[in-house]
Amino acid sequence: MTQRFLSNAGLAALVTELVAAHTRVIAPARASDDPEQIDYVSIHKLEDAAIGVRLPRRSLKELFLPPSEVLLYYRQTKDGVEIREVPTKAPPQVILGATPCDVAGLEVVDKVMGWDYRDELWFGRREATTIVSVLCTVMDSTCFCTAVGLGPDSFRGSDVLLVPVTGGYLAHVITPKGEALLQGHGADASEAMQAEATAAQDEARKKVEPNLATIPAELSGWLAKNFDNPVWKTIALRCHGCGACAAVCPTCHCFDIVDEHEGADEGTRRRNWDSCQTEKFTLHASGHNPRQTQSERFRQRIQHKFSIYPSRFGEILCTGCGRCSRSCPGGMDLPKIVGELIAMSQAEPEVKNQ
Amino acid sequence: MKELQELAHKLLSDGTVKVVIGYEEGPRGVRPAFITDAAQAGTLIFDKRCVQNLAAYLNPRRKQITQLGKAAIVVKGCDARSVAGLIREKQVERDNLVIIAVRCGGVLESPEADRELTSETVSVRCAGCVDREPKLYDYLTGEVLPEPPVNTRRTEQIAELEKMSPADRWKFWTGELSRCIRCHACREACPMCFCVQCTAEKTQPQWIDPSPTPRGNRAWQTMRVLHQAGRCVDCLECERACPEHIPLGLLARYVADSVERRFEYTASEDPSVRAPLGVFRNDDGEEFIR
Repeated sequence: MTQRFLSNAGLAALVTELVAAHTRVIAPARASDDPEQIDYVSIHKLEDAAIGVRLPRRSLKELFLPPSEVLLYYRQTKDGVEIREVPTKAPPQVILGATPCDVAGLEVVDKVMGWDYRDELWFGRREATTIVSVLCTVMDSTCFCTAVGLGPDSFRGSDVLLVPVTGGYLAHVITPKGEALLQGHGADASEAMQAEATAAQDEARKKVEPNLATIPAELSGWLAKNFDNPVWKTIALRCHGCGACAAVCPTCHCFDIVDEHEGADEGTRRRNWDSCQTEKFTLHASGHNPRQTQSERFRQRIQHKFSIYPSRFGEILCTGCGRCSRSCPGGMDLPKIVGELIAMSQAEPEVKNQ
Repeated sequence: MKELQELAHKLLSDGTVKVVIGYEEGPRGVRPAFITDAAQAGTLIFDKRCVQNLAAYLNPRRKQITQLGKAAIVVKGCDARSVAGLIREKQVERDNLVIIAVRCGGVLESPEADRELTSETVSVRCAGCVDREPKLYDYLTGEVLPEPPVNTRRTEQIAELEKMSPADRWKFWTGELSRCIRCHACREACPMCFCVQCTAEKTQPQWIDPSPTPRGNRAWQTMRVLHQAGRCVDCLECERACPEHIPLGLLARYVADSVERRFEYTASEDPSVRAPLGVFRNDDGEEFIR
């Protein structure tokens, strides 16, 4: 890994060069329907972007797993079924100025997407993408990235991490993809710049750390053993089960597959986002539903993120971005809830010893 | 506030109810509270940040609440109209509910920040409110508060829409609804969406495309809002829940205004008054049937 200095003008030139070479550049920018909000969108020049203003209201997930996408087209013939597949190779793109939590989320989800079946659409887009993240300085009270082992300056999933310094950015060049992107761009970083960047990174971490202490590894096992703990009956009373949390979550990845038939003999197979927070998610054809109430559905959300995924893939299915809390119409607050569960898990052995 | 807390304490300690559904201070402003222990009644609050329509928690689909037992609920006048709707439509038994109404001086757009009520910060739903002193209640609490400033944003948006040609209006809504990802958060957060099986999920026949396509999105949101005609109280829970920030409240308000014009009806606070969707009248205009 190397460090390099990239001036503001240098970054603008890089964007211009990429766009001229027909590479799609995606960056946070003011939302078209609400200038106070930020969305990840395609930009044509650096001035279109709004980097480091506030956390984008939706994560990067939809660029790799769209809310709805075609898997294949089918046609029934006399001899059987003709399948027309969709291309799984994606054109090159660069994501610029993403927050480290959103970028890390992609790597977390890679585990399940490449588990028993390698999801060609997901990885086609992942491989075609170079990611330049930026030190996060826009955290609020719902953020807890440091508690899940990440941080506002986490390198996880990024090819380059930019840290704002006087006159531009200190670029941590993390991967060969990042090296390739910055080839011919930037200058050597002075020691003073490196010190300035380190100070900014430390300061950013200090801003988010008080929100939630590091989640202990033991939480996963405690959750697994406490599937029937009465806490689940009361912890999600205010949850409407609307699933807005899953829509904005950088790591929620469940989808539903539907065949949409057109006319007599052809149709389209699509996959659409789905959420375990809705009643229908587990409704059986018999009419039975193993998760009858929202208490059980919210328990599933917590268990999957903080116990099932860690036990299967060795990591928490959450990047601490805080979007679920921000988007919840019922006022659910994930750092508070996880904090309570941690406290319960740690209080237990002492009770037994008495 | 003390009056509210003492009342909740009394109802819980004498066993009248098992849970009081109200408001409390949360990590990010005011949030819904579910008090089951009389000793906790002191956490209940009511102020201008109490945006949420708690009637949503009486919806029988919130099984985690209904299974707690008989409830008392804190309502503003507008929320009381939702409660009346649920009683009218036989989703809630009046005798199995204690209604604690609070006099309201208008609420903010968001429950998060405690700001002064101005014509910009006050909720658009408070404009023209005639329910600041609720009429459906078992207990009426709180002081009489001054009338809030008026936020005219929504009425201006409606006026803009009315001025548009049908083709432009179609274009406007197609654009807004193109963002819909069909997560159905609007439906799930709604106090009045209580159908056990929603038309959007019927597969035989499939009335509405399940994928987020322009046609499916238009069909879904049109169906939902028409089903809300004369039932919606403009609480904006759908709009607050929408992760795509679609102005669903505008669509609902537009339909509510049409119902008022055509049927001289607004969602009533009296459960015995019958709503247009649930009544047949010989003098209905029916000018659309030719």
